[in-house]
Amino acid sequence: MPMKTPPVIDIQNLVYRYDRREAVDGLSLRVEPGQCHGLLGRNGAGKTTTIKCLLNLLRPQSGSVSVFGLSPGRREAAIKERLAYVPDSVAFYPWMTVRDALDYQASFRRHWNRQIETELLGRFQLDPRLATTALSKGQRTQVALIGAVCPEPELLVLDEPTSGLDPLVRRDFIQTVIGAYQDAAPGERTVLVSTHLISEFEGLIDRFTIVDHGKAILTANADDARSRYRRLRAEFGNDAPDASAVTGARTLRREGRWLELMVNGEAESVVAWLQGEKAVRVESEALALEDIFMAAVGTKGGLP
Amino acid sequence: MIALLNFRSGVPVYRQIVEQVKAAAAGGTLRDGDPLPSVRALAEELRINRNTAAKAYAELEAEGVIETRAGKGCFLKAGSPSPLRRSVRAERLAEAVDSVIVQAHHLQISPEELTELLAQRLQQFQQQQANRPE
Repeated sequence: MPMKTPPVIDIQNLVYRYDRREAVDGLSLRVEPGQCHGLLGRNGAGKTTTIKCLLNLLRPQSGSVSVFGLSPGRREAAIKERLAYVPDSVAFYPWMTVRDALDYQASFRRHWNRQIETELLGRFQLDPRLATTALSKGQRTQVALIGAVCPEPELLVLDEPTSGLDPLVRRDFIQTVIGAYQDAAPGERTVLVSTHLISEFEGLIDRFTIVDHGKAILTANADDARSRYRRLRAEFGNDAPDASAVTGARTLRREGRWLELMVNGEAESVVAWLQGEKAVRVESEALALEDIFMAAVGTKGGLP
Repeated sequence: MIALLNFRSGVPVYRQIVEQVKAAAAGGTLRDGDPLPSVRALAEELRINRNTAAKAYAELEAEGVIETRAGKGCFLKAGSPSPLRRSVRAERLAEAVDSVIVQAHHLQISPEELTELLAQRLQQFQQQQANRPE
């Protein structure tokens, strides 16, 4: 019987509290090898703090963190050799050109794939002679991503990769980079992407964890979640009834003759209840991750 | 190959790709022996994970819809799927039919209305097939 491969990231009941700011309050997270795992949460939910604990930039106050089965507190260098991290604000030494910046990164790495570097620079039409100060925000992100995938690490950690990018800028390059990275060794390359812009990464994510107020609210496979959670809209002849006592449903909105509910899996019994309450019309819609996320962090009582 | 993904359909992404490739083949947009984009190219085009694209292709290959030629890529398989795959195909169809039945129930569409709708759409499809240029 084959041995189950250990998770690339295994966090259990992590606690890290600041005096006033973003805190992690008992968060558990497991990322399996070969996955593209989304860490989804609002600004201030605890995503960056969690990532900092993975990198030993912060020491957990309680709970355990392991990366590649190793403890970041004791084996920081061994872990960092095998991963690459792109923070949400990328900085370069101002006197460096793109070429200098990449060479500088490469100097810290045992391995550097020049072919990927050349391919991606070409794809993004980045002239290596350009000063890093002359780059747009999007271009700086491109250079940082190239620098992260050329050492061909086992784990890529991206913190808000699209933050600060003009909404009109095509963000396909993130897709391109992750694609090149994972395609070279499928099953062995893992991505953890942290974001609050869910729809941008909807298709890219295999599995996700929604974080809110420092806790993991839901961890699920993306396709499973999209097929299980549904939104029901019901119209009534008179004022819509109160659905707060209905098991398996969460009220998203109740206005006049309209009732909007979210269900998880068993929509049957909820639809039956609606029909029992004499609903004139019932519409059913499956949900995208973005909708599920909005409901998870916005709805009283969370997800059904 | 253009595919449209609907993240609000409740249908797994890889499944949507499988269905669209099959629809393209049935409709004549994709013909026997036509090449399909590589896993990576498909993933980039659709802005999805390469694992998902790979899963779609693995499924299409298992269903006998496409074949991989070493070093050349994936191509639409010539001729109809082998009879050995019939049970797999029947199973897939049953899944799709179940999903339609549940949808109809939620939308309060009666069994009679559903069968009538099915007959209508089937007739339309057969007409389109007949009109398809060879």
